[in-house]
Amino acid sequence: MILHTLNRSPTESRVYRQALAAMGPDDRLLLIEDGVQGALPSLVRHFGELDGQLFALREDLEARGLAGRCAAEVLVVDADGFVTLTEEADKTVSWF
Amino acid sequence: MRYALLVQGGPYSRQAAHSALRFAEAVIARRHRLETVFFYHDGVYNAARLAAPPQDEPHLVDRFRALHEVHGTQLKVCIAAGLRRGLLDEREAARHGKQGYSLEAPFELTGLGQLIDAGLSHDRLITFSP
Amino acid sequence: MHDESMNGEVLVILRHAPHGSSWLREGLDAALVAAAFGRRVTLLFIGEGVTALVAGQGAGALGQKGTQPTLEMLAMYDIDTLLVERQALDERGLGTADLLLPVTTLAPPELAATLAAHPLVLNF
Repeated sequence: MILHTLNRSPTESRVYRQALAAMGPDDRLLLIEDGVQGALPSLVRHFGELDGQLFALREDLEARGLAGRCAAEVLVVDADGFVTLTEEADKTVSWF
Repeated sequence: MRYALLVQGGPYSRQAAHSALRFAEAVIARRHRLETVFFYHDGVYNAARLAAPPQDEPHLVDRFRALHEVHGTQLKVCIAAGLRRGLLDEREAARHGKQGYSLEAPFELTGLGQLIDAGLSHDRLITFSP
Repeated sequence: MHDESMNGEVLVILRHAPHGSSWLREGLDAALVAAAFGRRVTLLFIGEGVTALVAGQGAGALGQKGTQPTLEMLAMYDIDTLLVERQALDERGLGTADLLLPVTTLAPPELAATLAAHPLVLNF
């Protein structure tokens, strides 16, 4: 299982499509930095059916005033949770 | 676990260095060893010894330096990416006939082979890009 | 997909075009160094990265080096597994005959398998 990180909003860059295309069935996607905008209910549809595999970094959400505005299906993790995701994954790939 | 980070974003212009430092703290708090931070692409600017940010902003260079001083993390700067961008240690500055130098210990100029080595020999390599 | 692509140790993903940024050059540098250190390297060109392989590139207006000379050196470094996202070629109206070097094109499901098969993945 690979952890993919994404730091771009789906409205600003198409790189999210590259990340999705490169994801295996068990892989996980963590939204960080500007990528956390993708966790908004109106944008989360760009990530299709990533049930239980789509994460967003709490600190980046909070810093942007978006912590309470996440779509329900997005799993919010803190920095400790980010590290845990990297422990659980065989490797981590950064999309930017 | 043994961790390595790859930082490819310049300081202050992108969030990558902030993200990397926050992640570094969390890695250490979970009792992993953060052995290496490798700086590539515009990430090499994080090693600039003359960086003088306002006092009310995080001092990214000092924060990376502290990782070395407190936790023994090696701070490796790609020499090819660094020289192109004006990041020279005292030795390279002398070799290129420059009056000043812009990078000093604990940051060290190293070859890109060290990145490949870190990627394959550490348990985890996490990249922070611009 | 050819079997040898599954055997590499280092996968370098190239997603940027020549000249517009240093990502392509710095990504290729990482690949060459890995190969010089005796690692088996696979290159994967996706998105705009496929334009790196278009024949007939030159130096920039200031004489800045293009990437074609580097690409022509790949064989010398035993980097001969060049994978290309088929969809990225299609989107740009390009075919394998437009490219400098022989490549293997990948359909979408093969991308994930390629990433999974390499212990080290560097994404540029």
